[in-house]
Amino acid sequence: MKAVPFSLGLLSSLLLATTAAHAADTIKIGVPTSLTGPYVELGEEVKRGAQFAADEINAKGGIKGRKIELSFADEEGNPDAGRRVAEKLVRSGFRLLTGPISSAVGLAIGSQVEKWDALYISGINKSDRLTGEACNPRMFRANHSDSMDMAVIGPWLKTRKEANWVVMAADYAWGRDSAGAFSSTAGAGGKSVKSQFFAPLGTKDYAPYIQQIKDAKPEGMWVAIAGRDAVNFGIQAKQFGLMGSVFTVGQSFAVPSTIKGMGDVAEGVWGVVNYTATIDAPGNKAFVANWTKSFGKDPANFEAETYVAMLALFAAIEKAGTDEPGAVAKALSTISFDTPFYGKVTMRPADNQLLLPNYIGRVARVNGELKTVVEMTVPAADAVPPPSKDCKL
Amino acid sequence: MLIQCLNGLVYGALLFSLASGLALMFGLRRIVNFSHGALYMLGAYLGYSIATKLGFWPALVLSALALAGLGALLDAAVFRPLQDRDPLIILLVTFGLALIAEDVVQTIWGNDTHSLAMPALLAGIVELPGSSFPVYRIAIIAFGLLVAGGLSLWLKFSRVGLFVRAASFNPTLAAIQGVDTDRVSLMVVAVGAALAGASGVVAAPILSLAPSMAADILVDSFIVVVVGGLGSLTGAFITALILGQINVLGIVFAPEFTALLPFVIMVGVLIWKPTGLAGNRV
Repeated sequence: MKAVPFSLGLLSSLLLATTAAHAADTIKIGVPTSLTGPYVELGEEVKRGAQFAADEINAKGGIKGRKIELSFADEEGNPDAGRRVAEKLVRSGFRLLTGPISSAVGLAIGSQVEKWDALYISGINKSDRLTGEACNPRMFRANHSDSMDMAVIGPWLKTRKEANWVVMAADYAWGRDSAGAFSSTAGAGGKSVKSQFFAPLGTKDYAPYIQQIKDAKPEGMWVAIAGRDAVNFGIQAKQFGLMGSVFTVGQSFAVPSTIKGMGDVAEGVWGVVNYTATIDAPGNKAFVANWTKSFGKDPANFEAETYVAMLALFAAIEKAGTDEPGAVAKALSTISFDTPFYGKVTMRPADNQLLLPNYIGRVARVNGELKTVVEMTVPAADAVPPPSKDCKL
Repeated sequence: MLIQCLNGLVYGALLFSLASGLALMFGLRRIVNFSHGALYMLGAYLGYSIATKLGFWPALVLSALALAGLGALLDAAVFRPLQDRDPLIILLVTFGLALIAEDVVQTIWGNDTHSLAMPALLAGIVELPGSSFPVYRIAIIAFGLLVAGGLSLWLKFSRVGLFVRAASFNPTLAAIQGVDTDRVSLMVVAVGAALAGASGVVAAPILSLAPSMAADILVDSFIVVVVGGLGSLTGAFITALILGQINVLGIVFAPEFTALLPFVIMVGVLIWKPTGLAGNRV
């Protein structure tokens, strides 16, 4: 059913590419994301989030009469593929980019956008490098960074009694950053991190890692694994009796898509929650209702975060009065706009980071369904650490 | 450490039960079946759908039977017509079939990660010296040994097994002696596909289901077959067990090199003994 408008879109984008006169009529946003690979489910969330935002604004007549046109491409969870397909999108006129899942892919694309005269806004990538040493005037982040997540974990961790921790993380930019940030946060709070384990992306059998974690006899476990890997790790850790006996906190670990795969295993897992349908904000109920009408289920975190990145782009295009990436970037660096669930949010020009509130929650049964329940809300003023000194914009 | 070796055995057993079919097919038909991972995936997904209705055990049996049928079809419709062509053609065709299978799975079951509940009978945890261990993982080791034992008995002592060995030793000579090689190979491909399907169902409770699972496991099973000696069951068995141990030991002692080690070993073995550990005998 959905394939028809998509192929029509593709066809029309081909037609538009050949007739330059028409090309100016739509605002083109390129979405390179994981259509295959270990993060394919998260890629589907990004697709839905981007499409929902575009449909919503197009139904209202677009931005100043111009409709939004999306083009999706497959970054395969791989930086090389990501850079290749993003460049292809840029060459065919889609110079406003969002969508990659892995931070490594986001960085590979974000580092090129100045050269391509394009713009990249992350809706998913958490690695601090995007707004740290790798920052540039054409790269933005509309979602929570690792250090933003840690800024809320720090105070919360002090309230926990568990003293000995281990870290289990994915072996690439994001997982490494997350592990490092958690270790220093835990250390600062008087907790000790006994060992850190890193498993390659796409690991099938986590048993050797699980056994080592069990041997370390921790009281708490920080897990930075996402997507299908998270489901594998969760299920196997439960089978070994690790989960359930060790207090588990995760980053992007127990989110709606992985909770569905893990089932009961996810119950009781704590985590930083960047978005959940249960957030108690005035606009959120209407947003969730609209979303459910389109997709038949609650919006998941990556869907909502991609939606925010799209809203940021729309607001900046409107303010700039053009979709020229240079002008949009200039407008985006100080943009302020309304979101249904975070309230009014503002971009920080010092490192191009959107200032957002953050939440801590846990997975619990609500009316028989596993959902993420917010336990602690931290307003944007306290949730965002100062900009990195490594970023000079 | 004992537990870690057991973990190595689990993955090794799983790899062997998958790769044995691959080795048999190569031994008999001299074909490199790139769609073998897809058979494993289809087995797992079919098992998943059947298990939600009928439970784990019927799923294991029915899925293996369905895959046996699919294997027979594969042999009759693809391998036999193409047997006299360039081996590269079969390689490309099976690669194409693998891509189609992945798309079919995506269309029917979607991109969500599914997981299959393990049978209640094997869901417990057993206390071993040093640590506890899931019973189901021990059952996987048993499954691998069962496959190895069953296959070698079948090849050594049954009449069909004799034909299989004869046909893979020299297909022409076997045909002259009155062995219907087409029938033999139909059976072997069916058995290989059934084993791939059964491995998929057996793996499903610990390795979740996703459309990428076919490609993920194919590389490892090819390493098993190539290092073991193309077409050799014994070689594949030994290699699968070694690979399982190396995977675990690598993670424990040299995590930086884990992903690299199997390939280093493959290159090393192929330089030292290009026919693989066990030559090219079944």
